[in-house]
Amino acid sequence: MPGSESPPEPQAGPARRQAAEPALLAVRDLVQEFSVPGGIVQAVSGVSFDVWPGETLGIVGETGSGKSTLARSVLQAPRPKAGSVVFRGTDLVTLRGRRLMQARRHLQTVFQDPFGSLDPKWRVRDIVEEPLVAYRTGDPAARHRRADQVLELVGLDPAAHGRRHPRELSGGQAQRVAIARAVALSPSLIVCDEAVSSLDVLIQAQVLNLFEQLRAELGLSYLFIAHDLALVKQVSDRVAVMYLGKLCEVGPGESVYREPLHPYTRVLLDSIPAAAPGTSRAAATIRGEPPSPIHPPSGCRFRTRCPRAAQHCAVEEPVMRELAVGHTVACHFPLESTAAASKNAMPVTSTTARSDEKMGETPR
Amino acid sequence: MSAPLPEVLAATPAPASARTRARGRGRGQVGMLRIWLPAGFLIVLFCACFFWPLVYPVPPPVGGSVLDAGLPPLSPGHIFGTDPVGNDIFSRILYGGRVSFEVGFAVTAIGLVIGGLLGVAAGYWGGFLDGSVMRLLDVLIAFPALVLALAIAEGLGPSEIHVIWALAIFSIPAFGRIARSATLTLRGQTFMLAARLSGTSRRRIIVRHVIPNIMPQLLTFSLLGIGVVMILEGALSFLGLGIPLPEASWGSMIAQGQQTLSASPYLVLIPSAFLFATVVALNLLGDALRERWGVR
Amino acid sequence: MSEAAHGSANSRASVHQAGRGALLEVADLRVVFTLARGRELCAVDGMSYSVVAGRTLAIVGESGSGKTVSCRAVMGLLPPSAVVTGSTRFQGTELIGLSDEQMRRHRGANVAMVFQDPSRSLNPTMRVGAQITEAIRTHRQVSRREANEQAVDLLRLVRMPLPERRFAEYPHQLSGGMRQRVVIAIALACRPKLLIADEPTTALDVTTQAQIMELLLELQAELGMALILISHDLGLAASYADEVMVMYAGRIVEQASALELFAHVRMPYTQALFQAIPRLEREAHSPLPVVGGRPPDAAGLTAGCSFAPRCRSAADDCRAAAPPLAEHEPGHLWACWHPVDGGA
Repeated sequence: MPGSESPPEPQAGPARRQAAEPALLAVRDLVQEFSVPGGIVQAVSGVSFDVWPGETLGIVGETGSGKSTLARSVLQAPRPKAGSVVFRGTDLVTLRGRRLMQARRHLQTVFQDPFGSLDPKWRVRDIVEEPLVAYRTGDPAARHRRADQVLELVGLDPAAHGRRHPRELSGGQAQRVAIARAVALSPSLIVCDEAVSSLDVLIQAQVLNLFEQLRAELGLSYLFIAHDLALVKQVSDRVAVMYLGKLCEVGPGESVYREPLHPYTRVLLDSIPAAAPGTSRAAATIRGEPPSPIHPPSGCRFRTRCPRAAQHCAVEEPVMRELAVGHTVACHFPLESTAAASKNAMPVTSTTARSDEKMGETPR
Repeated sequence: MSAPLPEVLAATPAPASARTRARGRGRGQVGMLRIWLPAGFLIVLFCACFFWPLVYPVPPPVGGSVLDAGLPPLSPGHIFGTDPVGNDIFSRILYGGRVSFEVGFAVTAIGLVIGGLLGVAAGYWGGFLDGSVMRLLDVLIAFPALVLALAIAEGLGPSEIHVIWALAIFSIPAFGRIARSATLTLRGQTFMLAARLSGTSRRRIIVRHVIPNIMPQLLTFSLLGIGVVMILEGALSFLGLGIPLPEASWGSMIAQGQQTLSASPYLVLIPSAFLFATVVALNLLGDALRERWGVR
Repeated sequence: MSEAAHGSANSRASVHQAGRGALLEVADLRVVFTLARGRELCAVDGMSYSVVAGRTLAIVGESGSGKTVSCRAVMGLLPPSAVVTGSTRFQGTELIGLSDEQMRRHRGANVAMVFQDPSRSLNPTMRVGAQITEAIRTHRQVSRREANEQAVDLLRLVRMPLPERRFAEYPHQLSGGMRQRVVIAIALACRPKLLIADEPTTALDVTTQAQIMELLLELQAELGMALILISHDLGLAASYADEVMVMYAGRIVEQASALELFAHVRMPYTQALFQAIPRLEREAHSPLPVVGGRPPDAAGLTAGCSFAPRCRSAADDCRAAAPPLAEHEPGHLWACWHPVDGGA
């Protein structure tokens, strides 16, 4: 039984995982706010999840869901208002300055805009070497070698591209440089914030394959954030759906796709253009407009647009409950699911220690 | 001279966007001619002013003989003629040009270094530092320019150094504001966050990321600023607050020549033409470089 | 949409044959940009197609394929450095070579365009209603009051909730989806016969995307408009359009009805596009079939097929000569020497 540092959350994967391995990244009750003209927006309102070594957790959400703010908060850029971010055993929220920098060494990022994340005045090789220089790994010669090595790893020829400026690269190449930079220090976890959303579809496929290849070769974990559910599912082991600062549903990709439990997930799935023309499109079932983030709806935040909303939804905010193996949902009236456990499934909170009996009870 | 000094210096062009990622083709296709023509002129003029007298003898700019007074241009031995006291105009143009270049560069350099650093610090760190630096710069701008120059000239006596410091008081806040707004724009760029997340120290970020990216903007502003400073020096000298006679300065030459404008217009026209040409060249070069470097 | 209707509507490969009510006929359109030092960039290299009222044509391609430039040529929105040759006839009138004034009247009244990012298409300092009335009064002589009424009607037409209230609001007070509705309302102000939507939903969320696409199709049915949908998303195009045209490096490489294209894709590039789209049905972590390299920067530079450098099926004849676009099967055109035989 792991210590109280990282209370176990229902996860996918072999049961041995929960007991044996601590999570690589354990986020608990994360809150992030910022002020806008008109009030304070709580972009992330109490989000908790884990990322295990070697797995990819995808976070999918639309505009205003807070997913990018979530990514930045995990990175402590800026530090979240509340909550904890335990990475490799240390809570990043409690660290400052140099110690934070050291703790963040194994946590790297790839951003959305391939050109925006590269200094236009720098050459490719310097860009890739920057983290090596910052963390003072080896002597200059060793750093050059490592930079060349990672450039080759991402499919770029160091001799041809090393001396180029970002403006001489294509979008796909620039993103590869960003990936090379992220990989240079051999991180454990890479946060991908819409990392392929700006790329053309064929280049996107290339870069996605690169992510998979690096995952296999280097044993990386990813926190993959995007607004495209199909994309997230393609790349992830588990998927978390976010709406207006809260997680709606978390579970294995296949489960979330085949048997979504949260109405919002269902809406997202239905909104994706039909797989083949001629097949009937499910009419867009979402109603209304996104609510104001400054004054989110009481109770369940999705209730103003939910086809299943009822009186109770305005009164009480739903908590995360595990309804199927490793599949949790925060909803008072979740969708029907054949794998759903009985309605008496216990809510999962950060302070509840899960008993072994419960684990054994859940049908497969 | 009714042009208000601080406004002219403080006129800030729009902050440069750091998205200078336009491919080579699309970015300002500025012909090399547009850059090298004005640059060439300035280089030639600079070399003439500073090196010609060393290489080729010219009559001294002061202490001319009254016997040579009032000669028109193209007289033998005095290609631009002489002034009422007998000094060779050509020589005074060269030495006066030295003054213009010296003052122009010095004031701009002081503004660039001091104002630039203050602006970058204010923009990058924000908060209290930003507030205090901006208030300091506001105080400097608030000084009534002409009155201050007058006071300095009165109190310290007119001289080149005093002119430089008086004008630097306005150059510093101008650069400060530009540097600050350019830094603020840059701070929103993702690569700045990426650099921070890569572990790079703040100091190194300023030196290796901020400064290289704002330099094009500051440099083009400098070029345009040099021209402005030259005119201001000319104005101050014209008013008698700058370089004292009998030393040569294009401004004081214009003032002097005013008295005999109808009889010998060349005394005004020649230094005016040089001042005009120099400032125009600086502006053209500044504009061409701004386009070339994609500064907005 | 029956198969028969598909078939007859698609037999318009030859633009010399004026289809029944062909609104727009483009023949051999070429757009060349003149750059500094005499260099040229060929953005569109010989496009021919036609659009019929009441139908949706999707033009699909990646960046640099020429899809946006070709439609801007139809709208007359290209910069002076662009040299446009060929023919674009709108209801028989030749558009290329029209004066600015004639072009201005043609825009808005006949053809309107909706752009990608609604927050950049709208003036942030003007109220939404004012922007719509401005569009109305540019093309028609109506009183201010009438224009206001028409503007509110337009907002109602685009299914804007509480249209009277939205009329007085600024763009920043509206969500992305609502802004796009405003942009569509402005485009429809003078009931154009042809609406060109350039990536209308790319900047929007997927749920809003579905709403806006539904809206466009409903409007098309109500107003009898023709709709050209420009997109990089082949899935979106196949899902909402009647006919799909795939562009690569300035040329049309495949054209067919959406059903036909999806069932029997022929051009290797189109197949690559289909296969590269992440699909929900696909297993996680399965490698995506990829095409190496990237699209050429300028069209028409190579003698052979522009896709040959990246194509798995490429052979020597591909590099030697560019295959012409031809109707190899009824209602299905492609430009390839060695087409594949694939369902998507």
